[in-house]
Amino acid sequence: SKREIKMRKLDSTKVWPLKSEQLLRIEDHDFALRPGFGGSPIPVGIDVQVESIDSISEVDMDFTMTLYLRHYWKDERLSFRSNKNKSMTFDGRLIKKIWVPDVFFVHSKRSFIHDTTVENIMLRVYPDGNVLFSLRITVSAMCFMDFSRFPLDTQNCSLELESYAYNEDDLMLYWKHGNKSLNTDEHISLSQFFIEEFSASSGLAFYSSTGWYNRLFINFALRRHIFFFVLQSYFPAMLMVMLSWVSFWIDRRAVPARVSLGITTVLTMSTIMTGVSASMPQVSYIKAVDVYLWISFLFVFLSVIEYAAVNYLTTVEERKQLKKRGKASGMYNIDAVQAMAFDGCFHDTDVDLDLTPFSDHCEENETRARAASICDVDTPRLKRKRSLKGSVGRIILQNNHVIDRYSRIIFPSVYIVFNFFYWGLYI
Amino acid sequence: SHTYKKNHDITKTWKGKKGHLFRVNDHDFTMRPAFGGPAIPVGVDVQLESLDSISEVDMDFTMTLYLRHYWKDERLSFPSTINKSMTFDGRLVKKIWVPDVFFVHSKRSFIHDTTTDNIMLRVFPDGHVLYSMRITVTAMCNMDFSRFPLDSQTCSLELESYAYTDEDLMLYWKNGNESLKTDEKISLSQFLIQKFHTTSRLAFYSSTGWYNRLYINFTLRRHIFFFLLQTYFPATLMVMLSWVSFWIDRRAVPARVSLGITTVLTMSTIITGVNASMPRVSYIKAVDIYLWVSFVFVFLSVLEYAAVNYLTTVQEWNERKLRERFPCTCGIPHSKTMMLDGNYSESDAISLAGYTRNQMVPEEENQEKMLVHLAMSNESNSSQKRGLKGHVGLCIIQNTHAIDKYSRLIFPGTYIFFNLIYWSVFS
Repeated sequence: SKREIKMRKLDSTKVWPLKSEQLLRIEDHDFALRPGFGGSPIPVGIDVQVESIDSISEVDMDFTMTLYLRHYWKDERLSFRSNKNKSMTFDGRLIKKIWVPDVFFVHSKRSFIHDTTVENIMLRVYPDGNVLFSLRITVSAMCFMDFSRFPLDTQNCSLELESYAYNEDDLMLYWKHGNKSLNTDEHISLSQFFIEEFSASSGLAFYSSTGWYNRLFINFALRRHIFFFVLQSYFPAMLMVMLSWVSFWIDRRAVPARVSLGITTVLTMSTIMTGVSASMPQVSYIKAVDVYLWISFLFVFLSVIEYAAVNYLTTVEERKQLKKRGKASGMYNIDAVQAMAFDGCFHDTDVDLDLTPFSDHCEENETRARAASICDVDTPRLKRKRSLKGSVGRIILQNNHVIDRYSRIIFPSVYIVFNFFYWGLYI
Repeated sequence: SHTYKKNHDITKTWKGKKGHLFRVNDHDFTMRPAFGGPAIPVGVDVQLESLDSISEVDMDFTMTLYLRHYWKDERLSFPSTINKSMTFDGRLVKKIWVPDVFFVHSKRSFIHDTTTDNIMLRVFPDGHVLYSMRITVTAMCNMDFSRFPLDSQTCSLELESYAYTDEDLMLYWKNGNESLKTDEKISLSQFLIQKFHTTSRLAFYSSTGWYNRLYINFTLRRHIFFFLLQTYFPATLMVMLSWVSFWIDRRAVPARVSLGITTVLTMSTIITGVNASMPRVSYIKAVDIYLWVSFVFVFLSVLEYAAVNYLTTVQEWNERKLRERFPCTCGIPHSKTMMLDGNYSESDAISLAGYTRNQMVPEEENQEKMLVHLAMSNESNSSQKRGLKGHVGLCIIQNTHAIDKYSRLIFPGTYIFFNLIYWSVFS
């Protein structure tokens, strides 16, 4: 009717020859066929802008990346008349009606095109039929990681693009601007990694069933920041080893003290090791951090064994002295070994302990005292005569400090040497 | 009859379906209003419903908001006598043109769809459109943890049109700074939301041009109380517990050693607990500084006791060597009685009580007594003559209390000083 015609004239969109579909003549062509169907392969240029690397997961061995993926190709069926050489931007829903390249991400686990508030798709057509098709995608893709140098490791990951249906006879996928096709305009940073470089490369992939396909690679190298692990694992382990050395400076007669010191450092080392393994995949080879923690654990373990040896030798020597004394002076002695073991207090050697009853009974036992004193005086001589065995025993008893003394030097120096080797090897 | 019922059908007062009302099929809504002409201005209005969560590990935040668009599309104008808007079903959105706003740097987002898509479309007779939807979006926020947990984070949500550059679509805040409302009280458990404000800028993409970008900025200040209770307070208590060791007698070896080592173990556990819920950043956080300095204090208390114990043992050896030259000594050196029963005994003078008792022995003992006397005096003389070594040893054994005495003052004083500096720097 008249009113309808009037409204049609006021419709500004109707300045153009009717609808965009008619503008682009969508109904006239069959867009199920690629441009140049039956002819030479259609070249499709690819441009990527990486928005962010969301996460890198060691346990799943994958990474998640959000990127703008842009395709450039020429479809003459979409050309339209225009005075100025300006492109026209269309609604994303138009792509359902035209042909677009079917690029997919090889080795991706999950991916989606963002669709808030509408599908994040842009379609721009130039008058000569060149098309720019842009998508915003988040993709989680596999990355094979090698943890043998963890946490001093560098991982190389890559995102691979390929056409699903069209092999290289039909579609030639290439980087539009060569190496500069890959942009990271905004500052991308990860908390745990330093992104060393982004690079683009391309190759051909062969599938035995379906032929050769063009494959584009987005490669990036990630170097892990070691500071967190130094603070979390290496530093506590080092401190635990140093604490275990404290045991060598404590008197060997303080049995409960040295044993509890040793065993508690072992427990703490064990806790540290469990904490590190919790967030790691269960790989079948040894990692760099495992090497360090296990060797530190070994040091701490050896300090406990060292004290067991010291204690055992002390006990052996005590018994020998007891046996000797029992024959010579007739049992004045308090079993020093037993006393020592009971309350952990210092007890000196049998010599002095013998004097306790002696001094109490000074008046009565003067003769015996003299005998004892003589014996005491003679005892060294007797010992010297009898054999070196006793004196060696005495030397060991006095010099059980020797094992401790040597340990005080050996343990720290070996640990320092180990550290030099470790850090020199891995850094 | 049939005709009668038709007359009562209210919807049939209008000319048929709403599609006819709008003549949706007459226009091509894949093209924006004023296609080919000037940029269409689209006003945006946001009402925040809630801030759902802030995640430090993922470095993102989740927000639910009502997003409203205002624009004018003359193709949607309809005749009306009253200037009242008409509200339509959300499903009409698929048939008309709507701005394609998306959230830059968003990880996941969705339009709520219970019970139906939460979309509102309201059209005014002159073609003005109000398009509202309810969205939950999870977006990236770069967080700086160098002052954690005394930190403030500034996050922003960014809106942009995906396809239309600023030549095609002008995005602006409808009411300027008042476009952002938070009508209901938004609160987070761990943060205090300081302020919300809006800004707008232009963003450049090298491949696609300039786009209008709108920002919703907000600042969050973390409540420290939880971390005080969870981390700072236990660490402070552990350090204070380690000071208890200085007040325990130095001869109680197992006690002091196990006190020191158990506080080290507890500090190590606290440190591990804090890092479990934090991202692995490559710089040191404020809470790390506090915990590690406290750990060092606790560690030093263990080392302090190792030094005390070692010096005590050294002095023991020196005194023993002195006494071995004079085999019959009735006096029990004080150090031995000390180790024996854990009771305090003063210097040699008092322990020579046994010696003084011997003064009542018969004459035969006088020689011995003289010997002893001589021995004692010789000992003191020889110790003076020999060198300050023995004297120093004596001094040290009396003054090993000195290391403890000093530690009782130095450790707390230094720790309090550290606390003063720490809280003044970070608060």
